[in-house]
Amino acid sequence: MNYNKEHTAPAWWNRIYSVWYRHKRVYTSDFASNAFPPFLEPLIFLGGLGLGFGAYIQTMGAINYLLFLASGIIMTSSMYTASFECTYGTYIRLEFDRVYDGMLGAPISPTNLIIGEIIFAGSKGFLFALAVLIVIWLLGIISHPLSIMAAPVGFVCGLMFGTLSMWVTSIVRNINHFNFYFTGFLSPMFFFSGAIFPLENLPRILQYMAESLPLTHVVRLARAFCVPELLGPHLFYDLGYCVLFIALTGWLAIRGIKKRLID
Amino acid sequence: MISFYNIVIRSIEKDDGGLSTGPGFIATGEERLFVYFMEAGMDDIAVRVEKLNKSYGKIQAIKQLDFQVAASECFGLLGPNGAGKTTAMKILYGKARPDPGADTVISVFGFDPRQQSLAIKALSGIVPQQDNLDTQLSVNDNLLIYSKFYGISTKDAKKRIGELLDFVELQDKALVKIKELSGGMQRRLTIARALLNNPKLLILDEPTTGLDPQVRHLIWNKLRDLKTMGVTVLLTTHYMEEAFQICDRLIIMDKGKKILEGHPRSLLSEHLELFVMEIYGISEMHLQSSPFEDTKDIRFEFFQETLFAYSNDTNALTSFADFMQITDYHVRQSNLEDLFLRVTGRSLSELQ
Repeated sequence: MNYNKEHTAPAWWNRIYSVWYRHKRVYTSDFASNAFPPFLEPLIFLGGLGLGFGAYIQTMGAINYLLFLASGIIMTSSMYTASFECTYGTYIRLEFDRVYDGMLGAPISPTNLIIGEIIFAGSKGFLFALAVLIVIWLLGIISHPLSIMAAPVGFVCGLMFGTLSMWVTSIVRNINHFNFYFTGFLSPMFFFSGAIFPLENLPRILQYMAESLPLTHVVRLARAFCVPELLGPHLFYDLGYCVLFIALTGWLAIRGIKKRLID
Repeated sequence: MISFYNIVIRSIEKDDGGLSTGPGFIATGEERLFVYFMEAGMDDIAVRVEKLNKSYGKIQAIKQLDFQVAASECFGLLGPNGAGKTTAMKILYGKARPDPGADTVISVFGFDPRQQSLAIKALSGIVPQQDNLDTQLSVNDNLLIYSKFYGISTKDAKKRIGELLDFVELQDKALVKIKELSGGMQRRLTIARALLNNPKLLILDEPTTGLDPQVRHLIWNKLRDLKTMGVTVLLTTHYMEEAFQICDRLIIMDKGKKILEGHPRSLLSEHLELFVMEIYGISEMHLQSSPFEDTKDIRFEFFQETLFAYSNDTNALTSFADFMQITDYHVRQSNLEDLFLRVTGRSLSELQ
């Protein structure tokens, strides 16, 4: 063994990749049980809401209800997986398993670690969106080839909720505080972001509030790729919102988590 | 040798107020000699810490700490819980930030952790106090993931992992899940993980706490092996036996301050008598009325119900026991633990 060779830290992209690789490896170590929920969840939603409501509601606005619902839940699925990853997942690695204490002993900076983790949340967003898409393709609800683009939107959705959740994680003082985030913020957003029903007929004030929520914008993007009549230049506004949102909450997340990583 | 180099460095520092290196420095023969010694000195010092302070809110964890670790030596930081040992270690690789101070010097192989923690971590191996292996993965996968952190290619990593599992005697466990390993095996694996990058410096925070004697001795032997391979070893412990067995030099810390520094054996001979007798159930009153009250041969210390009698002469101790009509006594060699308790105090502090 040679203990006097040259030592240099890998390049920054390699450092971020190695963090992502760690999470992927842990996630896929139990792939059977991890791959099950993303496929089952859309079936439950489409079965429960689609069959139940669908019997009474044929169309939602100009679109078939089942199509409306299916194109909405692609993003809610991404939202929940990224949020769980970067709240409970991050918190357990931070406080209980002390995974980060080990990782920060290797040549990885706190910023590398946080960015790697957020990109992993984005990847899970992509994977979950793809799983929903596969289910709705197989059910024949959506057939347009452009709908595949909803999967990359799932990546963007995963990044958004990864950065936001990570920032929340940097603030909470114990793991039960996440209840406020899930019940107080994500659950209302699930309903008031145009995923389950359209926003057009809501009171004006609720429409403005919905417009400020991150999920609204990714739902609009994803749905437009599933129902190409909805495509248009206004989507750049939604994309711009996503970019700004990721930049802002990402900055807050890095700043907040760094404080908890370095004494 | 080391201390001589340090003296030379100090003299240069005093002359011009700072270490001057670079092409402009070599001139006369005398100065050239200085440069030679200085470079030799720089090579020999692995870690240098001067005037280090660290506070958490109002609690000052480290106060004006100074120490130096020579390359390829095993250096120990000893102290009770809350003495600031772990904090000092964390500062060395950038996991904790020291208080700002213009005259604070922290150097690990020439790198300052305040700006260059990545460079330090690339050449170091860190074994934290708490094992933090990925419990749902196998031994092999744990090491493979960390080899990526160090930028080692998969092919090189496989070879290195094989070597290291042999080294820590876990070669049969490569495919076993962490959950199925004993505490001692997990500790050895954590040490193997810290060696993936062939570190020049190995930092261990309480490496054998909670382990059985067999594993503890195995780990001590491995650390001795590493030292002979040229690795600088820096460890914290509160096991005096551990420090005595493997440390070339050590400092004893208490309440954030350095109290003693030196070679374990010379610290003992300088600060303590050779033998000690412990007697339970004797109070200061018994002693005051005896002819031994003012003896110069024996030094007495009381703690709670126990009397500690120190002496260089075992006969003096046994005759004292005979006089006090005590038959149940035990005379033993004094050890580092006696010294430790003497300098850090026997009673508990609020942080313990």
